[in-house]
Amino acid sequence: MNEQQLHQKLRATGLAGIGELDESACDPFVVVEGDSLVEVCTFLRDDSETRMEMCHNVTATEREGSIEVAYHLCSYEHHHSLTLKVLLPKPEGDLTDWHPSVPSIAGVYTSANWHEREQWDLLGVRFSDHPDHRRILLPEEWIGHPLRKDYVYPSSHGGIPLELDAVPLYERDETTEETPSEPRPAGTPLNQPPSEPSKRPHAGGKAPPAPEKKAPKAKKEGDA
Amino acid sequence: MEALEMYTTDDRTDVYTEELKLNLGPQHPSTHGVLRVELKMDGEIITGSRSDIGYLHRCAEKIGENVTYLQFTPYTDRMDYLASMNNNLAWSLTVEKLLGVEAPERAQWLRMICAELNRIASHLIAFGTYGIDIGANTPFFYAFRERESIMELLERPSGARMLYNYIQPGGVRRDVDENWVDDVLAFCDVFERRWAEYNTLLTNNLIFIKRTANIGIVTKEMVFDNGAGGPVMRGSGIKWDLRRDVPYLKPYDEVEFDVPVGEGTHGTLGDCWDRYWVRMREMMESIRIIRQGCKAMPGGEVMEKGMKKMYKTPLKPAPGEAYVRCENPRGELGFYVVSEGGTSPIRCRARGPSFCNLSMLDSLLPGTMLADAVAIIGSLDIVLGEVDR
Repeated sequence: MNEQQLHQKLRATGLAGIGELDESACDPFVVVEGDSLVEVCTFLRDDSETRMEMCHNVTATEREGSIEVAYHLCSYEHHHSLTLKVLLPKPEGDLTDWHPSVPSIAGVYTSANWHEREQWDLLGVRFSDHPDHRRILLPEEWIGHPLRKDYVYPSSHGGIPLELDAVPLYERDETTEETPSEPRPAGTPLNQPPSEPSKRPHAGGKAPPAPEKKAPKAKKEGDA
Repeated sequence: MEALEMYTTDDRTDVYTEELKLNLGPQHPSTHGVLRVELKMDGEIITGSRSDIGYLHRCAEKIGENVTYLQFTPYTDRMDYLASMNNNLAWSLTVEKLLGVEAPERAQWLRMICAELNRIASHLIAFGTYGIDIGANTPFFYAFRERESIMELLERPSGARMLYNYIQPGGVRRDVDENWVDDVLAFCDVFERRWAEYNTLLTNNLIFIKRTANIGIVTKEMVFDNGAGGPVMRGSGIKWDLRRDVPYLKPYDEVEFDVPVGEGTHGTLGDCWDRYWVRMREMMESIRIIRQGCKAMPGGEVMEKGMKKMYKTPLKPAPGEAYVRCENPRGELGFYVVSEGGTSPIRCRARGPSFCNLSMLDSLLPGTMLADAVAIIGSLDIVLGEVDR
């Protein structure tokens, strides 16, 4: 069956929340309401004419006004495949703590378990009734979801500074080595903790030759 | 005498036992990279397992959203670094689908030959390292001898030994030299003899069969439920190969080859030995494909004419989305790319076959011995570079 026939078959079941077949994109897809997703997947898997045995992929995508979750189902018996999509419109205001929710299909297809965990990890989409809703690729204590468009890169992780504004070695000007302006005062401990990466002499551009040029550097730090 | 009685009586209530937690990995040769598995042990028997991945996460999908379509091709090399050609191929096909272009005929045949050569190299690693996992060190050196010849063959057109970046959207980067096809055919003749050596070394070795037969049985239901693919799927007796059933390159339709499946020769269908034997036979099928490809390859251009400008101005596919599946040595690699008309995609998702095959591990391990866990992980043939991306 091709996508049109599969869509008509889905429509004929009378399940609620099955939208139109969108053929404007390169690959056609069917928009499904989140509430009926599990029923639709169960039907597609169990019906003898559709027999979608495998959930190949689960992908969340952030668009301008919404986050879309795409499910690529395929049948090995009938050699056909279908893409389902759940749309999650964005609310107004700050989106950093916005975690939209979709029912998990890990109960229908076990393969969706890890795929859904990855989408939660990277895009912050919650999958309700998921058997093991944890991060999968990033550490448990990671803050934020990196594939969001408004994600802010962290400046350190676990006490280790991430030198995001570091100048590559081959671009550094090593000839103008800055001499320490005054000697180390007596009684200074030798094992000083490392300074912040942005305060290091070569970070964030060429090493300043004179101390009065430090003012624009501080401004840059504020931007970061 | 009293002490002896204590150990011979049946009700040894005074013996203190408890569940043992054991960490396998992340730095262990048998985990094929940096995989950590938390095992719950009852003596030698595994009662529960939880795999922990992400140690090799390099943000490939985030990088894909920040570079152009052409610039992402080398990053696909580094996902499944043992089968770079196949990764390049899947990515190029996805971008071509978005753009609506097709590679010239000679490029398609070259793609097929290179991808099959890379498949053999990848299976040789699987064969060699699996021997080491089980305790046979010699096959590894034999496997690397033949892999070296393949790397030399692939180095000539691409300039690289492992991370080729050779197959690009629109075709292949450059044509092969005039002696290349003859050298590939000569390699095929040598490899056929060497393949027989492998079987005497490892395949029919009694100790190897004892270690792998009836271990780690994957049923057909488990394959579909867990989304496994490639030799893991075929080892369970499912005759499915994207190259044959949904040919993503035209030449696959024109060459003849079989799809080897597991038969439960030495034990139950879908055990570790079946998966191993599927890989071994797939190497010979690849040799068959390469031989036919070398004979039938037509002349002509290797890069679509309109695509050559992509080296100067970035590609800008029309808004849309494409999902392409390709048969990699480890299973089905899928790329899902969403374009909004810009120079880089807004979503660049890679569905790695190792990722799905590995997700099955937690349901395979309970009930087996610890030594068999190593055999099971090895038979799934995972590459952590692709699991973590």
